[in-house]
Amino acid sequence: MRHKRDVHTLAGPYAMDAISAPDRARFERHLDRCEECAREISSLREATARLAAATAVTPPPALKARVMAAAAATRPRPPGQEREAVRTWRSRPGIRVRIAIAAGAVAAAAAIAAAVVFGVSNGGMRDQLSQAQASSQKVAAVLTARDAIMMTGAVRGGGTVTIVTSHSMHELVFTAAALHALPASRGYELWLIGPAGDRAVIMLPPARHDMTGPVVASGLRPGDHLALTAGPAGGAARPAGPMMLDVVL
Amino acid sequence: MTAIDRPDPERAQPAAADLAACLRLVARGDEDAFDAVYDQVTASVFGIVRRVIRDAAQSEEVTQDVLLEVWRNAGKFDPGRGSATAWVMTLAHRRAVDRVRSVQKESERERRTAAADVPFDEVAEAVESSLERERVRRCLGSLTELQRESVTLAYYGGYTYGQVASLLGVPGGTIKTRMRDALIRLRDCLGVAS
Repeated sequence: MRHKRDVHTLAGPYAMDAISAPDRARFERHLDRCEECAREISSLREATARLAAATAVTPPPALKARVMAAAAATRPRPPGQEREAVRTWRSRPGIRVRIAIAAGAVAAAAAIAAAVVFGVSNGGMRDQLSQAQASSQKVAAVLTARDAIMMTGAVRGGGTVTIVTSHSMHELVFTAAALHALPASRGYELWLIGPAGDRAVIMLPPARHDMTGPVVASGLRPGDHLALTAGPAGGAARPAGPMMLDVVL
Repeated sequence: MTAIDRPDPERAQPAAADLAACLRLVARGDEDAFDAVYDQVTASVFGIVRRVIRDAAQSEEVTQDVLLEVWRNAGKFDPGRGSATAWVMTLAHRRAVDRVRSVQKESERERRTAAADVPFDEVAEAVESSLERERVRRCLGSLTELQRESVTLAYYGGYTYGQVASLLGVPGGTIKTRMRDALIRLRDCLGVAS
């Protein structure tokens, strides 16, 4: 099991976030199956936490007022509250979930898989997606591409996304549910980040009935990540602010 | 205060237990508890974020994001999977690293290469716990040179193991192993409960 041993040696880099996004995703899949590795990582992270503590510097006092004000305006997620769909995933703090289906499967596999997952998570999304599939050939073409791969995951700050990529078509379909609502002056923006550079892909349309998209993004290149940021409604020059999502495609 | 002559994580780090208790309250929306969490973790969060990102304004921004993530997601903290401090610092470090990897242009990153070489003792002004810093410095000093450089470049510099390998001119496989060995040694040296 050469492959497995290779993955295992990533424990040190992983505990220090010294790992590329694809390796991180690979190691997290491994962690899900390897209880002993998860224990080792948590013990190594006690050590890295001490490395962090040793750098402690008092921040400007004004930061506290800003943080407390922002917290007062945000509702924390109650403990144990996971979205219905998340229950079917093995969710663990700090571990991004990735479900890949349909590589090399029959043409409609991605669309069927999408319907299955949306059926679990949200009927509205299924309806919206099937409508979009009917009305937009572009979306349907990606969903039914032979190499379509579907991923679902949680957005930092709330919401879930489903992404279907087709590398042969250099396109992806993006949908989201329950994204945190933004004021009219701001919007969500999708980015492709990779060896070909950082490219603004599309501003997401405002949510309807808590659902965003689907949108089709073109120009997908090998090694790209998909990132989601919140920024000015007119779009930003480059991906700034917190990455609310960063998925390896 | 009773004298402690062997490592006892429960007694040696009373603040850690308090932090976990505070996080449980924060998960229920308790703003006073969040105030206490802020006071306990912010210097460390800001310290590591600034060490990785360097730019003061961006570091404040990321620190704010990390603390808000703690506020929103305190319910996700699972005491069975490690200490509250480690949970917060893991969030903070990853956010900082994500920021430098995704936002900074290549040229800015190259400039940081030199900056990441700052020796550990010259790091920060106004450091909170000099005792803790001294202990970490001593434990870093007990590593081999390659182990120490790997940890410093990776954890404080925000580099991937592949980048560390090419910076040090050592094969990637070697660096991966050294990083794990180094963290195990640090863990044991620091008396972290495993």
